[in-house]
Amino acid sequence: MKKIEAIIKPFKLDEVKNALTKIGVQGMTVTEVRGFGRQKGHTEVYRGAEYTIDFVPKAKIELIVTDELVTQAIETIERAAKTGKIGDGKIFLSPVEEMIRIRTGERGRDAI
Amino acid sequence: MQFDLGITRNGLIDTKILMAKEVSNQSSPREFLRQHSDMVDGLVRKAFQKAQSQVSAPSVCLIAVGGYGRAELAPYSDVDLLLLYSSSKKEELPPLIEKMLYPLWDLGLEVSCSSRSINECLKMAQSDLQIKTGLIDGRYLDGEYEFFRKLYGLFTKKVLHRTVQKFAEGLAKDLYLRNQKYEDPAYALEPNIKEGEGGLRNFQIGRWIIRAKYKTDRWDSILFPDHSRMLDISLQFLWAVRNQLHLLSGRRQDNLTFEFQEKIAPILGFPPGTKGIEEMMRQYHLSTQRISNFVYDILERALHEPSWVKKFFFFFQRKKIDENFGTAYGELHLFDPVTFKRDPSQLMTLFRHCQTYRTNMDFRMEEAVVEALPFIDDRFRQSEEVNQTFLSILRKGERVETLLKKMHELGFLSRYIPEFSEIAGKIHYDLYHVHPVDVHSILAVEELGKLRDGLYQKDYFLLTSLSREIEKTEILFLTTLLHDIGKGMDGDHSSIGEKMVKHIGERMGLSMEDRELIGFLVSHHLFMIQTAFRRDLHDEQVILRFANEVKNLNQLKMLYLLTFADIKAVGPEAWTSWKNTLLMELFLKTSHFFEKGAVATPFLKGDEMIQKLQESLSQEIISEYAEHLPDRYLSCYSSAEITHHIEMARSIEKELLLVEWEIEKETQAKVTVCTKDRYGLFSKIAGSMFLNRLNILEAQIHTWGNGVALDTFWVEDATKDMKSRLQQFKKDLVEMLSGKIFLKDLLSKRKVSNGIKQKVIPRVPEEVKINNQDSDFYTIVEVIGEDRVGILYEITQALTDHGCDIHFARVSTLGNRIVDVFYVQDAWGEKIEEKNRIDQLKRTLSRLMGKD
Repeated sequence: MKKIEAIIKPFKLDEVKNALTKIGVQGMTVTEVRGFGRQKGHTEVYRGAEYTIDFVPKAKIELIVTDELVTQAIETIERAAKTGKIGDGKIFLSPVEEMIRIRTGERGRDAI
Repeated sequence: MQFDLGITRNGLIDTKILMAKEVSNQSSPREFLRQHSDMVDGLVRKAFQKAQSQVSAPSVCLIAVGGYGRAELAPYSDVDLLLLYSSSKKEELPPLIEKMLYPLWDLGLEVSCSSRSINECLKMAQSDLQIKTGLIDGRYLDGEYEFFRKLYGLFTKKVLHRTVQKFAEGLAKDLYLRNQKYEDPAYALEPNIKEGEGGLRNFQIGRWIIRAKYKTDRWDSILFPDHSRMLDISLQFLWAVRNQLHLLSGRRQDNLTFEFQEKIAPILGFPPGTKGIEEMMRQYHLSTQRISNFVYDILERALHEPSWVKKFFFFFQRKKIDENFGTAYGELHLFDPVTFKRDPSQLMTLFRHCQTYRTNMDFRMEEAVVEALPFIDDRFRQSEEVNQTFLSILRKGERVETLLKKMHELGFLSRYIPEFSEIAGKIHYDLYHVHPVDVHSILAVEELGKLRDGLYQKDYFLLTSLSREIEKTEILFLTTLLHDIGKGMDGDHSSIGEKMVKHIGERMGLSMEDRELIGFLVSHHLFMIQTAFRRDLHDEQVILRFANEVKNLNQLKMLYLLTFADIKAVGPEAWTSWKNTLLMELFLKTSHFFEKGAVATPFLKGDEMIQKLQESLSQEIISEYAEHLPDRYLSCYSSAEITHHIEMARSIEKELLLVEWEIEKETQAKVTVCTKDRYGLFSKIAGSMFLNRLNILEAQIHTWGNGVALDTFWVEDATKDMKSRLQQFKKDLVEMLSGKIFLKDLLSKRKVSNGIKQKVIPRVPEEVKINNQDSDFYTIVEVIGEDRVGILYEITQALTDHGCDIHFARVSTLGNRIVDVFYVQDAWGEKIEEKNRIDQLKRTLSRLMGKD
């Protein structure tokens, strides 16, 4: 079991979600996040006042997948989230030690 | 030894269900409550009598209290009993109570029983609000009637009627705490039918106060007949829902959760599916709103009716406002109670006075308003005086939400704008929309008011200042109030709403211009949300199309403010700083576009062109390409040319490169190059042309959203050998793009040997401008200078060397002067903003232009 975390551009969220559903991913968590990487924030001016957007809005998705599905899921996110421009985001992969479905107490793969 | 009550636990459940069925077929839910209560009375009496016969106990009196005392017993409500005894023989009671309760408990009844002496009762009722309210509803069941008579004689005289004011204060506090507890938005979606705001408990509070203050149990006797009839319908509806809730869950369940909403709606005769649930919940919210208004009204009367001393004292503080209204003790009052009936337009004046004098109306005034509602007719709705007064209230902008709320609560708003009644209590069956549409609409107005009052100054400075620079405040408030008006109808609520508000605007006598503005804002009230959250704000095309649709800065500002108010009013968690950032970015970029319109104008008409293309291209192809074609590109070519370009683009899927030309006048040709865009493409083309002695007179290069580069060149060749030179050019370019040869190798082989005759001409001063202000997306490089062969290649190569990707270019030659404009970004799709990079680029370009 692996946890995939991806920071993507907000307007790519639907596309990524649909692509992941198509390959059989059953659930994910989505969060509105803000941050910066290479794509720095910027300052806009309106009527002489400056408005700084120092943290760029992004969407974060988190999903747990079985080892067999990892490669495919990552490729899917990569393809769907790509615009080729700065700020397309990042994907993180990490191992998951255990997973429990609270309602039933199922553990491991069954809990996905 | 335990005795038998003649019925089993399951038998009792069956009886209840059967009873519910029979009753729901013919009469009201109240009838069920009564019949159920009667049945339980029978069981309780039987248990009491049998217990008495088995235990030797002193004489006692059995009383039903609470909801059971009112004979309003829902299927699984608690059965609360009170055992009154004469003071001395307390210790003999427990065996009796035990004997009585066990068999009842065995039947699954939630029975609780307290035993007190008359004095204890009175004492506790004085200090404990709950015991007091429980006693109010007491009903004699069995045993010593004399005890009951004595208790209630004393209770009414010494407790209930003595401290009405304090009682009302206690209940008001209780109500406040209760409502606060259930204020959480989760309860708006899954309300608690008993304890929630406007729930059954709220109604009881009103009723207890009436009982205490007006010494009557007929709560309807102090209300207008219409009012009490509506209230009764609301009450019956809540009971009907609650009865089903208990029966379905098989326990005392008062939370109307989604699960049960779904099950109960069809049972109560609502249409199947989501629609039925929404209708049921709408009725639910309308009912609780009525009950809530009722209890606040009653509390208001009990708490604020001034004593005669006060009246006398304030008599001297009365002030006259005009011939109809005056103020006294900080509240507005009428000189003549029939004013509104004589002249209904005074109703609107009343609300303006409330705003102007910052006062509230007392309950008598509210009654007068309610009484005059039937006099609001079409003449009233179209009256210039009334409408101007209404608009002036909105224009002034102070306390608008409070006044609108009051107008709505009194039923005035729905009479004045009948369309508004369609959205009253209307709910969405989802988790996002917490409030019914009418409540949401008024909350949105409130958010706008808070913005103007500066409550969000720190967090949302931009929105705050925008809210104050808007010219037509009244239009913005009116739009906000009516933005969801289309939700009362089936279909797309934005476009239905547009028609409705235009109609309403016409009735109110708004100008054509204002009607169009409101119509636009209502029809587009989700447009900014859709663009900001679902489109790439770093794509210029997105901003251009948004701007094109919004049309001008004023509409943009209003749309932004409306969007803020709309989201903020959805629920406490709907508006996040994340959404704020995206919306702000969209606003700022679009506002820049409007302010610098002149530089960015070569767009427009994009939609028209797409329409036109439908004549020559299939729908399938258009839908594939339309979103990728920049408006700037669409405005440069005819539909026939664009059609042809798309055909070219479709075939470069297979081929690397397509080059086409049309030779005109032997020495000139128009060359079209279509290929996949790549870094430095323009300089490679310009270089290949230079190699083949094709002098570029004009060029337009465009990059489509899908990465297709579509470039057109007007070239000149003095030797009249155009065709072979063009063929060679194509061959060179193909080899260069496929990496077989390198441009700089070819160039070093062929030193410049100019085909065009050199003339002596005046020198043109060179000028290089690098501009980051005019576009939010590109750095604009402008180069002016003297023309010479190969200059375009050199410029484009320099741009490429400096890491600039050329997205759009317009190259033209005017006599011996070239005027070239390039829209460039760096490799990451960002503008070139570092000062030293700009300086370096400027130096290189200036050097190129200055060279002979």
